[in-house]
Amino acid sequence: MIVPLNALRPGDRGIVVNILGGPTARQRLVGMGLTPGATVQIIESHQYGPIIISVGGVRFAIGRGMAAKVMIRKL
Amino acid sequence: MMKVIALAGNPNVGKTTIFNALTGLRQHVGNWPGVTVEKKEGVLEYRGQKFLVVDLPGTYSLTAHSIDELVARDFLLKGSADVVVNVIDATALMRNLFLTMEILEMGLNNVIIALNKVDLAEKHGIEINVRRMEEVLGVPVVAMSAKEGAGLDELKEKIHQMANGMLKERPVIPQYDPEVEREIEHIMAVLRDTELGEEYNLRWLAIKLLQRDDGVIKLILRHLGSEKLDEIMGHIAEVEARYKRAMDLIIASQKYEFIDRLMHRFVRYTKVEGESFSDQLDRFLTHPVYGLLTLFGVFYLMFKFVFAVGLPLQGYLDDAFTAFGEWLAPHIANEALRGLLVDGIIAGVGSVLSFFPLVFLLFLALSVLEDVGYMARAAVVMERIMRKFGLPGKSFIPLVLAFGCNVPAVMATRTLDDERDRLLTMLVNPLIPCSARLSVISFLAGAFFASHQALVAVSIYATAVLLALLVAWLLSRFVIRGEESPFIIELPEYLIPSWKTVTLHSWERSKEFIKKAGTIILLGSMAIWYLSSYPVQMGTGGSYAERLGMFFEPYMRLMGLDWKAAVSLLFGIIAKENVISTYGIIYGSEEAIAGAMTPLQAYVLGMVTTLYVPCIATIGAVRAESNWKWAAFTVVYMIALASLVGILIWNVGTALGY
Repeated sequence: MIVPLNALRPGDRGIVVNILGGPTARQRLVGMGLTPGATVQIIESHQYGPIIISVGGVRFAIGRGMAAKVMIRKL
Repeated sequence: MMKVIALAGNPNVGKTTIFNALTGLRQHVGNWPGVTVEKKEGVLEYRGQKFLVVDLPGTYSLTAHSIDELVARDFLLKGSADVVVNVIDATALMRNLFLTMEILEMGLNNVIIALNKVDLAEKHGIEINVRRMEEVLGVPVVAMSAKEGAGLDELKEKIHQMANGMLKERPVIPQYDPEVEREIEHIMAVLRDTELGEEYNLRWLAIKLLQRDDGVIKLILRHLGSEKLDEIMGHIAEVEARYKRAMDLIIASQKYEFIDRLMHRFVRYTKVEGESFSDQLDRFLTHPVYGLLTLFGVFYLMFKFVFAVGLPLQGYLDDAFTAFGEWLAPHIANEALRGLLVDGIIAGVGSVLSFFPLVFLLFLALSVLEDVGYMARAAVVMERIMRKFGLPGKSFIPLVLAFGCNVPAVMATRTLDDERDRLLTMLVNPLIPCSARLSVISFLAGAFFASHQALVAVSIYATAVLLALLVAWLLSRFVIRGEESPFIIELPEYLIPSWKTVTLHSWERSKEFIKKAGTIILLGSMAIWYLSSYPVQMGTGGSYAERLGMFFEPYMRLMGLDWKAAVSLLFGIIAKENVISTYGIIYGSEEAIAGAMTPLQAYVLGMVTTLYVPCIATIGAVRAESNWKWAAFTVVYMIALASLVGILIWNVGTALGY
């Protein structure tokens, strides 16, 4: 099942399959390790506001708008 | 010529700590030519040889999508460094090696890897075989813990050897899938017919072209013509169609796969990590409710600390300058010279300099919060709120700095990577009351509202902050429109800060304050003294300053103020605390002001002082960070806002019978 990152719930894990959106936003994510093939875990997510994720042992807060562009295969 | 050592690495990897350890206090902070990106340089002396150490901006990659990346990339590309020290964080190897691979892909063969935070990695169960790592990557690796000072001598030794050609390396170059490699080969073959190979690494150019790098496309277009370029771009589109992904993503993910294969040969994970204490703390500190409450608590305590320690120090310094002036006065026979020195320069510059402890302590407290790792969490909490006003959560940091001094706060907007966010934050920044305005507000509140002192001060602060948010919202809606910037921020691991780094950092930021006292305030104080002493002494109605005030009086009447306020506010443009000291000159003593105004007038004066034109130093900072047009815009909108609020309060106040 492929879903956008913002649809996952705390504790969920998934693998990034694609990143939509413009090259600038895409390159920022890629540089931070959020690239197709990377495993992501959701640490914290609330009704609104940034989502906290873990990628490659590092924690990030990512805005909902940006998270909606990251497509994930849920594990 | 000194040999040049460049430090490159991700943000939060301890690059600054290593830079400080290598150069000590022999640092120079300036700007990279043509852009407002901070350039730090320092001198390292080792075995009798001097090296110029350049701290490149911290970046995650070298794709040149931000000014920081462009600066770092151009520096490395031009071969300006004799040795490149790539600082990487052992606890986040995968991501850090991505930048390493981008550096090696440029074809550099003078790279040393400073593997920092090895002690922390060990605690996380990450076992790195450093010798194997050197073999696999083909470059020297120095295991370090910069905070503890471990590995520093070895790093210096390796730098020395590399700079003097005693250390050779064969760096590994990332390899991609056969299909991508074929494209790279094809482009390289075409490029071989040009002179580009003399200046650039062709493989690097080919890969950047695949990634549709704007700068590289333009460069190749100049050498190749549009026909051949179009043909290549057509090829790229075919590959993308087969992978069903943009080419830059294909390259990036294959680069990560390559790194993953390399890492298997020198890293072992001995612990499976569950949820850490840090995660639990994050969950609390970024929570919409608890996080916000903590944030208020933290900043309340911070201001409490800064003022509890700083205000007495400010008092002592102020007394010291006054005493110095009084001591000096009888020693100068010439009356005009005495006036200029004692009443002009010492009084003016002294009153500004006495605020230095407050500014320094505020920056110290903020640096500690930053180095502990709290600021990133605060930005997450504020993101939810600030976004509603068109500002990103990260702009919270420069806005908090503004409570100390707007000048470094305007400069701190550099940390925002989006141009539009940066401009917005910069333009509303001067509305946040700095410590100089605090002195005016607290003086007026104390003299006129003995029983409601705190309430009056808080109401002025709250008005200013709310107006800043409102202006940000209006500007983002109607003036600086544009797409909402994407939000992503690393939450670095919580750390106990190193005192050396924190004090050095605070000193660097607050130094601007002293610089401004030595330049603009010095000139301003001389001007004030001249205008109020000639052709006759102020207080008789004939001085230039008074004539200037009379000219503006009709306008000031609209908000219930007179020529004295006009003169004070005019002088306040040089430094806001002048508003009170000017009254002091007019009446002979600052205390006499209490009988000269009604509480309502005093309240209007406090409010207008807070909201009108920023001080000259702040205007200068806005100009330096943007351009004249925006600096002028700030001045104009703030005058309009202050007048509007002043007139409103005066009329509502009189109607209510105050």
